Amino acid sequence: MTDGPASVTVNGRPLPLGDVPASERLLDTVRWRLGLKGTKEGCRSGDCGACTVLADGVSVLSCLTLTHEMEGRALTTVEGLADDPMGRAVREAFERAGAVQCGYCTPGFVVALVGLLRERGTSASASELLDDLGGNLCRCTGYLAIRRAVALLPKEVP
Amino acid sequence: MSSSIRPDSRPKLEGSAVYGVDLEVPGMLWAALVPSPVAHGRVRSVDLAPARALEGVVAVGAADLERLLPGAHVDPDRPVFPSGTVVYRNQPVAAVAAPTLERARAAARAVRVEVDPLPAVADLEEVFPEWPGPCADGSPHLAAHVRARDGDIESVFRAAGTVVRETYRTSSVHQVAIEPHACLAEVTDGRWRVRTSTQTPFGTREDVASLLGVPEESVVVEGTWVGGGFGGKGAALLEPYALLLAKASGRPVKLALRYREEFLLGRTTLPSVIRMETAVTNGRIVGRRVRLLLDVGASLPGRDFATGYSIGFLLGPYRTPAFEVEGYAVRTNKPPFGPHRAPFAPQCAFVLESHLDHVAREVGVDPIAFRADHLWKEGDVTPLGQRVGPFGLPSAFEAARAVAARWRAEAGPDSGVGVAVGFWSTGTGAGGEARVRLSATGLAVVQGEREIGSGSVLAGLASVAARSSGLPRERVAVTYEDTAHAPFDSGVFGSRTTAALGRAVEEAVLALLKDLAKRLGSTGPVRLGVDAGEVVVEHGTARRPVRELMTEAERSGGGVVASGRHYGKAGTIDEGKVEAGTFYPYHDFTGTAHVAAVAVDRETGTVRVVRYAAFQDVGTVIDRPTASAQVEGGVVMGLGTALTEEALWSADGRLLNPGLLDYRIPTLGEVPPIDVTFVEGFAGSGPFGAKGLGEPPMIPVAAAVALAVREATGAHVTELPLSAERVARALKML
Repeated sequence: MTDGPASVTVNGRPLPLGDVPASERLLDTVRWRLGLKGTKEGCRSGDCGACTVLADGVSVLSCLTLTHEMEGRALTTVEGLADDPMGRAVREAFERAGAVQCGYCTPGFVVALVGLLRERGTSASASELLDDLGGNLCRCTGYLAIRRAVALLPKEVP
Repeated sequence: MSSSIRPDSRPKLEGSAVYGVDLEVPGMLWAALVPSPVAHGRVRSVDLAPARALEGVVAVGAADLERLLPGAHVDPDRPVFPSGTVVYRNQPVAAVAAPTLERARAAARAVRVEVDPLPAVADLEEVFPEWPGPCADGSPHLAAHVRARDGDIESVFRAAGTVVRETYRTSSVHQVAIEPHACLAEVTDGRWRVRTSTQTPFGTREDVASLLGVPEESVVVEGTWVGGGFGGKGAALLEPYALLLAKASGRPVKLALRYREEFLLGRTTLPSVIRMETAVTNGRIVGRRVRLLLDVGASLPGRDFATGYSIGFLLGPYRTPAFEVEGYAVRTNKPPFGPHRAPFAPQCAFVLESHLDHVAREVGVDPIAFRADHLWKEGDVTPLGQRVGPFGLPSAFEAARAVAARWRAEAGPDSGVGVAVGFWSTGTGAGGEARVRLSATGLAVVQGEREIGSGSVLAGLASVAARSSGLPRERVAVTYEDTAHAPFDSGVFGSRTTAALGRAVEEAVLALLKDLAKRLGSTGPVRLGVDAGEVVVEHGTARRPVRELMTEAERSGGGVVASGRHYGKAGTIDEGKVEAGTFYPYHDFTGTAHVAAVAVDRETGTVRVVRYAAFQDVGTVIDRPTASAQVEGGVVMGLGTALTEEALWSADGRLLNPGLLDYRIPTLGEVPPIDVTFVEGFAGSGPFGAKGLGEPPMIPVAAAVALAVREATGAHVTELPLSAERVARALKML
């Protein structure tokens, strides 16, 4: 960052970091400063994945990330995937597979999966994707419907 | 939208569903609880002044209750804040609120809590070292004592060919809903209003009223989306604190737990020690003796339900001519025992199935045939004298046996297959009511419960309304109201929502159809349908738009309204067999039989479940996708209880692993494929003969895994969970 005050973008909108305390977690910035509550607080210690967001397309656990660490990065929350073709493909697969129960872990899975698809490409095998989803906890589904959802993902996402 | 897709999946996938933790209103304060520093002690003082000195902080403690609740009739046994003795570590002794969460937490830390420590008892086995024996009688550690018997048990045991005696131990397990408890309270115009993540809006209303000593009608509870319940969100927990702070501050107050506090304060399953004695003559069980020590933490004396209910699941679903059961609910310095998906039944099934398997091996008969021979059938009588209703467990067990035989033939070295059954009473609870409102375009079901994830409200009730009215499910919307407006319902627990509240929905629809038939002048039955986008009433081949049958007021928005209620009745037990305490009759007899195939690493003791099959007695399947999902999810939760989940308590009542890193629940990579089969035709009391489904799939999992481990390696593990360490130890002892 060379010019102007420090900032990040969240879902395409700039957020100046001047008012954000140095100790604030990205999770709290997103949820309470920006009101983007689709990002969920679970364990707050990096064990459950419910708070996953994307930083330049890569999954990060927002509970373990200080907002200032993200300076200059483009962040995407589950709300930012509303019109994203990959986000839509993941949501449709989850819906069709019945992979949503209480829904609390769901945004974390959606965001993490979109991150994986961006990282590895949509031709990545289901088992490859599932290996990397192991950090997201779900207590309702027993994961089997989530596996079926991943298997339903189209090989080509526009 | 296809009707197989749940209506709540879209908002949840988009992140727009509002859970308790997401609640926020302008001007609200954030709250934090002040924990007791010891597990047992006498409160000397709770000095709130240092907290109140911080800007914008409001604090409440025991000394403020009279001022905040003038004339309240509180239950002296259940003080909101203890003024005499604290009985578990982190028990809230005060609560604070501030404009930011950070400041609230700082204020909570600033409160000076002085407690004179008393000896803490956290280890169940330290309480009654001489047990079994009369040592427990009259002890201050007793929360409940239950005892029942039938037959001359001493003579039966003396005369028996073989008597097998064993002791089992089970662990403390948490519900681990991923969403922490959270609520938002407001007190205005004498109304105590709270929005909260709860499985029981009406139960919470009752609890709050009783804890604060205010009239029930002055308390209004509205449920939010619930991020998993599993029994953990079935009673008031945070609401009284938040309401008191709202009253004291005159502002809305938000209180949410951090995940660590979920573990520290959660009411859940605590450890047990169970002695099993079985007398066998010529391959038949002639007598059973069961003794249970159940840790109920800081539960109040006389308020224990678990012991008298659980102990039955250590006898049944098996016939026994003579028995004696005795259970003690033991108070320790831990948070109170609370329900967790089929409370304590997975532990009972693990003990009962492992024990009977062991008994069969000891007397040299086939363990599966031995259990099958003694299994209850419809028409049998339970040990406590209740007639067994329609019961699909024998059929489920036969199907499971056949699968097990096939898998056994394919099993490799250090692999084994286990078959286990579970029994549960479903469709319980006080009862429920619902309204339906028909418009020209669809049917609304109005009721008081929120969806906790199982689908029982949004898919279950909608399917019942659709099936009983004739409308496609897309034309049915399940809506909720707060407790001031919704018809009463007991709550989303006890596998009762679709089965029991569903009956109320069915009754409401039938009343609606009757009303419409009358308007139509029809004497025969009518159904609803859709024609050209509009709801029509069908009678034979005749169809009439419902709009034409409505009054002006109904057309302009009120709709045609009808209501239904269902207050189910349990059966009866023979009280003549009860010698102490309370035993409970069952509602619908619901069974489940599971098959687990495992591979065991003999060096490390690590158990891997490679294949799984579940045969579930369900009466009638109401909505297949959500029903299957309940079985899958229940099995996987059961795998956690079986293999890894164990809350560890130090001798002085400190929880040693209050986090998801050290308290391990199943993860995506560890889950085996699960075949789900429903056994239909053994009707329950639910709509269309349905039985409850939420809890049973969890019950036999630990048992099936333990029996598979025994078959694979010979290791007979008598403690839960079957951690690698325990399995390795059992293997060494062979």
